[in-house]
Amino acid sequence: MNEIAYQPEFQTSVNFTKEKKKQRISNLIKGILFLLPSILLFGVFLFYPMGKTIYLSFFLTDNRGDPTLFVGLENYVKIFQSSNFLQSLKSTLLFALFTVPGTILVSLVLAILANEKLRGIGVFRTIFSSTMGISVAAASVFWMFLFHPTIGWLNRIVEAMGFEAVGWLTDPDWALLSVSISTIWMNIGFTFLILLGGLQSIDSYLYESADIDGAGYFYKLRRITIPMLSPTLFFVLTVTLINAFQTFGQVDMLTRGGPQNETNLIVYSIYQEAFMNYQFGTASAQAIILFIIILLLTLVQFKLGERKVHYQ
Amino acid sequence: MRKRKYLLGAFMLLLALFIVGCSNKSNGNEGEENNGTQTVTFWHSMGGAAQEALNSIVEEYNQSQDKVTVNAEFQGTYDEALTKFHSVAGTDSAPTMMQVFEIGTKSMVNSGFIEPIQTFVDEDNYDMSGLEENIINYYKIDDTFYSMPFNSSTPVMYYNKDAFKAAGLDPEIAPTTYKEVIDVSKKITEANPKMKGFALQAYGWLYEQLLANQGALLMNNDNGRTDTPTEVGFTDEQGKSVFNWVKQMIDDETFANYGTNGDNMVAGFLAGDVAMFMQSSASARDVIDNAPFEVGVAFIPYPESIERQGVVIGGASLWMIKDKSEAEQKAAWDFMKYLQTPEIQAKWHVGTGYFAVNPAAYEKQEVKDAYEKMPQLQVTVEQLQSTKSSYATQGALMDMIPEARRISETALETVYNGGDIDKAYKDMVKQMNEAIETANKARK
Amino acid sequence: MTLSISKKIIFYVLLIIFSLLVFSPALIALLMSFMSSQDIMTGKIIPTEFSFDNYAKVFDRFPLFQYLINSFIVSIVIMIGQLLLASLAAYAFVFLEFKGRDFIFFVFIATMMVPFEASIIPNFHTIRHLNWLDHYNGLTIPFFATAFGTFLLRQNFKQIPTELKEASQIAGIGEFKYYLTVVLPMAKTSLITLGVYGFVTSWNMYLWPLLATTNDSVRTVQIGLRQLQSQEQLNEWGVIMAGAIIVVVPTLILLFLGQSKLQKGLTEGAIK
Repeated sequence: MNEIAYQPEFQTSVNFTKEKKKQRISNLIKGILFLLPSILLFGVFLFYPMGKTIYLSFFLTDNRGDPTLFVGLENYVKIFQSSNFLQSLKSTLLFALFTVPGTILVSLVLAILANEKLRGIGVFRTIFSSTMGISVAAASVFWMFLFHPTIGWLNRIVEAMGFEAVGWLTDPDWALLSVSISTIWMNIGFTFLILLGGLQSIDSYLYESADIDGAGYFYKLRRITIPMLSPTLFFVLTVTLINAFQTFGQVDMLTRGGPQNETNLIVYSIYQEAFMNYQFGTASAQAIILFIIILLLTLVQFKLGERKVHYQ
Repeated sequence: MRKRKYLLGAFMLLLALFIVGCSNKSNGNEGEENNGTQTVTFWHSMGGAAQEALNSIVEEYNQSQDKVTVNAEFQGTYDEALTKFHSVAGTDSAPTMMQVFEIGTKSMVNSGFIEPIQTFVDEDNYDMSGLEENIINYYKIDDTFYSMPFNSSTPVMYYNKDAFKAAGLDPEIAPTTYKEVIDVSKKITEANPKMKGFALQAYGWLYEQLLANQGALLMNNDNGRTDTPTEVGFTDEQGKSVFNWVKQMIDDETFANYGTNGDNMVAGFLAGDVAMFMQSSASARDVIDNAPFEVGVAFIPYPESIERQGVVIGGASLWMIKDKSEAEQKAAWDFMKYLQTPEIQAKWHVGTGYFAVNPAAYEKQEVKDAYEKMPQLQVTVEQLQSTKSSYATQGALMDMIPEARRISETALETVYNGGDIDKAYKDMVKQMNEAIETANKARK
Repeated sequence: MTLSISKKIIFYVLLIIFSLLVFSPALIALLMSFMSSQDIMTGKIIPTEFSFDNYAKVFDRFPLFQYLINSFIVSIVIMIGQLLLASLAAYAFVFLEFKGRDFIFFVFIATMMVPFEASIIPNFHTIRHLNWLDHYNGLTIPFFATAFGTFLLRQNFKQIPTELKEASQIAGIGEFKYYLTVVLPMAKTSLITLGVYGFVTSWNMYLWPLLATTNDSVRTVQIGLRQLQSQEQLNEWGVIMAGAIIVVVPTLILLFLGQSKLQKGLTEGAIK
């Protein structure tokens, strides 16, 4: 067999490598062409600003954002020594801790409820997903009013129940929680839709066989639903976490970072530093640190997640 | 197949929009003639009801003559607008004139992209002395007028006259010193346990005002008016006096904490949750109109150990931007002058609660009528006019004051929430001095 | 899974309670938009008389129709732009093999982690240099490239059987034709999903449109909402709520119409 096959192989192998090379180059060109528009825009509006940000983080700047004094790593050192930044870090981590499990839990409960084949379930599904269509600006207006110390509904309910009014947005013990609650509400729509879809793609035969075995509602929930949902949960976890670290709108409208910088999440701190204090250098340094944190967290998540997620 | 048509349609739509967008070159070139009139681009930060009043004034101006057309454009809050300005200064996208808050004054001067109005005052022989002295002095540096005041306000103390009566106090006499405020607050809460005595919004501006009222400087080097400041200008005693005052009321449980939110504070006042509060005079009309009880307006208090000095003018002024055509700047100057006429000032004052920069406006019938209906409005004018002129009451000049405000607000909040006064004060001074240092280093 | 009556009742009760909780902020805002300032300040729940005054005021304050139209144009253009660029990029990541493909994909994903607010000032300067201030271009083109969209479509494209690609290659169909005639139609659900998602997120943007515009010509409706709030004077809650309702209605309608497709599409991207 070798003898016979040797000759033709020898001949075609030369052409084969050449063909492969041609194909590879043409594929590379095609790939780049398809990717070009995206790469171009990313380059101009994402990578260039990132580069500029890294550059600026080593300088002090004037009101226009032009670098004026080179200070090397001083900005970074100053930041880590400043109690305000450390507070921002703490607040942001706490915020993520509140909103990520909070959003997932609430949306999961809603999705499980709305997954039942009941009459009129469509109406409920629409209502649950509605918060996705409400912009941060509008949602913040709604919640600003709900949290109002005097005429806000939350305090009226609280007082009607006999408790003292709460300074939802003014009490440093409550402010972060309040911003978290409004954020969870805003995220419910999107997360609910994804989880609902995930639930609906679970094979019903799994439930049917469990029914035959006489499994109860919560048993099915624990043993079938959650594990089968884990890829979706993982996706939701990643997206919610990244979003938590990039929260800005609600803070700007509800608390402006206060009280006492309790809700001064990192992105807001960057905004304040750049837009109100005109210190683009330190703002840039903060931005770089934020990016690194998100990157690390996401990498960790993927490493851990891959092991725990149950794929079909 | 449908996808292809859909895509094609999408391409056409994009193309069409692109073309439409390209031809929509509205404010790229400002000095352009608009139906034969000179266009003036006016950037401002008036939202809410003030925007309505401003728009109607602008419209009247445009209709009253056919040489100039003013385009008033909202740019966000004072902070956002100033940032935008710094980004476009020196380019075609810059406006002809702009409204900037008072603490942005130094920043504007430093930018090098403004033309002091003194230039136009001199050309025109415009008489600035006809305008309220205590207001224009803020915007005068080294005998040069840089900007034209427009919407000015001062802080006042509002109080619930009905609540005073109910507590056995004379509703026509408001407390004048810190101690009196403490005492009155105690009486109020004794008579009505559901009502607190006093609220102070954690607003840097109010803190600055309370300092000025004591004759304290915010920044050194004469509040930045003789030289660039290098550190804060108030003494420990002056700076802490406010903290101690508030702490006393917190301990007495007569203080209502609304944090940094002025809106909530006013709502609380109107709902009868607190009997006195400090706020801008610009809210006077709204507060008086919406209150289901009689509202009194009084001067802001001061520590009893010193004499009342007065208040610093707040609000914003109008700036002329450099490097525009002569015709354009002349047109903007004409509009600025128009805004200072007694008629327009009367309208603005009555419609918004901001001061009349031109005192002649107070003689106008509509102002007189308004005062008859609301004599409280006069108190704000009295407080301003009886202010003793000094560096302290002239106001501080420094480009990082916005940052300083936030630092003082955090310090106030710390005290409101029961934090240690000495630590809060020391932290505040340290951070302010650091900010001053950085700003000085970073400036070209 | 048919349930007993008692179970059904429990479910319905829970559903109703949760619906009320989720929807109440919007409902309250709706009620308030019909109330006068007096009513709101004194804390009434139902307006003493329903009036459209607040809505009229909103239309007075700023050119609302102009803003609405601008929002529509900007959102639709971004939506189309994103569909185009994301599908092209996803196609490359799935059907084309070339060196560095996975690395570039990872870089794409990394862009999702860059906080937009941090890059605002350099982007603002770029837009200014291109003379795109106060221009639809400045509001739309920067957002055409989307890592999330590319990711979503890539996951979906991966489900298209490779035999189809091989068959098309044998038949001599070029890449672009394959993309147009086979891939796109098969990914319809995801495309609709991305479209709705892109439209809604664009509609909701407010910081960038505020910065990139200096006049009303291309401003969007979220900025109008901001304008209703006042810095130095009392907020008129009734008017603000009316503004918020106006801003929210178009996206709610869109969501209502596309809801089921949206849900399917988002899932397919999430699971695989």
